Amino acid sequence: MNNDFNIKSAVVDEKEHIELGKFYFLNNKYDEAIYEFKKVLEINSRNAEAYYNIGLIKEASNLVEEAKEMYLKALHIDPNYKIVRDKFNKLVGIEI
Amino acid sequence: MKKKKQFAVIGLGIFGYNVAVELVKKNMQVLAVDNDNEVVNEISQFVTHALVADATNEKAMEDAGVSDCDSVIISIGENIETSILAMLIVKDLGIRNIVVKSLSQWHSKVATKLGASTVVYPELEMAKRFVDSVVTPNILEQIKISKDYNLVEILAPKKIWGKTIRNSDIRNNYGINIIAIRKQVPIIDNSGQIDVKEEINMVPGPDDEINRNDVLVVIGSEKPLAKLKGIVNE
Repeated sequence: MNNDFNIKSAVVDEKEHIELGKFYFLNNKYDEAIYEFKKVLEINSRNAEAYYNIGLIKEASNLVEEAKEMYLKALHIDPNYKIVRDKFNKLVGIEI
Repeated sequence: MKKKKQFAVIGLGIFGYNVAVELVKKNMQVLAVDNDNEVVNEISQFVTHALVADATNEKAMEDAGVSDCDSVIISIGENIETSILAMLIVKDLGIRNIVVKSLSQWHSKVATKLGASTVVYPELEMAKRFVDSVVTPNILEQIKISKDYNLVEILAPKKIWGKTIRNSDIRNNYGINIIAIRKQVPIIDNSGQIDVKEEINMVPGPDDEINRNDVLVVIGSEKPLAKLKGIVNE
């Protein structure tokens, strides 16, 4: 618990929050991962990867509507974000 | 070598067109028939044979080679009479497996009485599925496998997260069997981008654990499944 706290306080920039979020995600700690990706968005609200990552966690949690909303936000920032476009299309039911 | 199955799709509206194209994707031989020159031209690049013909003309259907097909799908969207007439002609040509796309519940009844092997009413089926997905979003899929038994894909109820199948006592409490567990596993690709990959445990054992976000594929009769569905949203 203390270790977690120390890591979190040491992380200050966007990239570090992204990496920490990914680390949590890969260890099935979805709530902690989302917390980190939201921190990224507090620093830079136009970080498309953070939206994608949150969308992916929502999708993995079977929260399809929330996933779509996050993917759309990522696409709004970066319309050429291919993996997001593919995942969004799949959720909406459009065959690629 | 095993002979490819031959299908005829009569009527190339949205449904018929897509059925024909999907059959070709499954490596089937497809004869596509419609009275509209334009749509026949368009589909000719995908299917084995495409031709313009009147489905209510027995000679035209015979000449088109419909009698050589194993199955015929009638998806005429104009009116019930044309669809029924086409079905009777196809039946007279000796086709045993006739699938009719229905335009209404009355159409379904008439087609069944007159010998259609299968009647599909996509609008009604889709409406039912849509309503199910809105009313019970945690029921992901439901397939009727017999009069009394259903196969259901359901999100693991919170009550049994972290428990093994044995400890969840799902069979005793709900009278259903878990036949597979589907889960999304986090991965990272070479570029450092995260993603998920689906893993399916096809033969879950009593000591396999059920976790949050797992999707359970269960089989059971209506009543116990309704009881299980009741706790899914808890």
